[in-house]
Amino acid sequence: MKIIKKIKFTTLVIIVSICITSCNSTPNSLESNLQSDSIPSIIDTLTAPISITDNTNIENTENTTASIKKEEIPKILIYNFHVTNRCASCIAIENATKKTLDTYFKSELDKGIIKFSILSVDDDANAKIAEKYQAFGSALFVTRVFKGKETTSDFTGDGFKYAKNKEEKFIEILKNQITEYLK
Amino acid sequence: MKKILFILFLALTNCTLFAQTQNLNKKTKLLVYYFHITDRCNTCRSIEAVTTKVLNENYKNELDSEIIVFKTFNVEYPENKYICEKYQAYGATLALTKIEFGAEVKIDDLTNFAFSKIHTEEIFTKGLMDKINEYLK
Repeated sequence: MKIIKKIKFTTLVIIVSICITSCNSTPNSLESNLQSDSIPSIIDTLTAPISITDNTNIENTENTTASIKKEEIPKILIYNFHVTNRCASCIAIENATKKTLDTYFKSELDKGIIKFSILSVDDDANAKIAEKYQAFGSALFVTRVFKGKETTSDFTGDGFKYAKNKEEKFIEILKNQITEYLK
Repeated sequence: MKKILFILFLALTNCTLFAQTQNLNKKTKLLVYYFHITDRCNTCRSIEAVTTKVLNENYKNELDSEIIVFKTFNVEYPENKYICEKYQAYGATLALTKIEFGAEVKIDDLTNFAFSKIHTEEIFTKGLMDKINEYLK
């Protein structure tokens, strides 16, 4: 009988001690967690960073892909400068340039890969761009923009030489350069 | 007979064309040709004016002794058709031709240079003089 009582008491002691130990340990760990981080911050740590990281990565990847795609396609900027009183050659240069673009580069124009601007150097609004290209009168420049680098060819001389009386020759020269710049 | 006439015709034509372009003094070392259309713009006129000025101010002796020959041509005149074809000058064109012993050695087309530099006269003048000096050596 005594033995049975002893076993019961021991068992009880063990159960109580287990309960006490477990009850003490859990609050301690929670306490330590709560002390170091607030609940929202824990939630943040567990959830937000993952989603943000993922989004950032996606966004970055998309941006990178988009920028690579953008950078991989060269852009062509064509500037035709003129004064207010235009001569026959100057008008011929504009017309032949338009004809070249409409005939051979219509889709690039529509997509914005090629941009054609006709600018009067007498207009104050064009002063900055005219200064950049050192355009003081009639002039035709073709600029290739690729990976942030600009390469410019000056077609003013060829324009004056050919556009009026040998248009097909001028068109050929311009077409070849634009085709080369699009590569 | 027809063959002989044809050969004579060719010979005469060539002689005429040769004379049109090659009426050269033995001393001649350089041809400076400027081509233009009838309806000229200020830039085209400036190129001719500054080229004339460069030659008159710096190469007067060479011009007088025909070491340098300076000529201007209207590309729209029929009489200039051959020379314009030869120089591929269908509009404003500035060309230097190097001559050695009465024969053409090289044609240097300065049209693009002229149109891009004429607005800064000193740069155009220096570039043109550098070229001329090179061909006079």
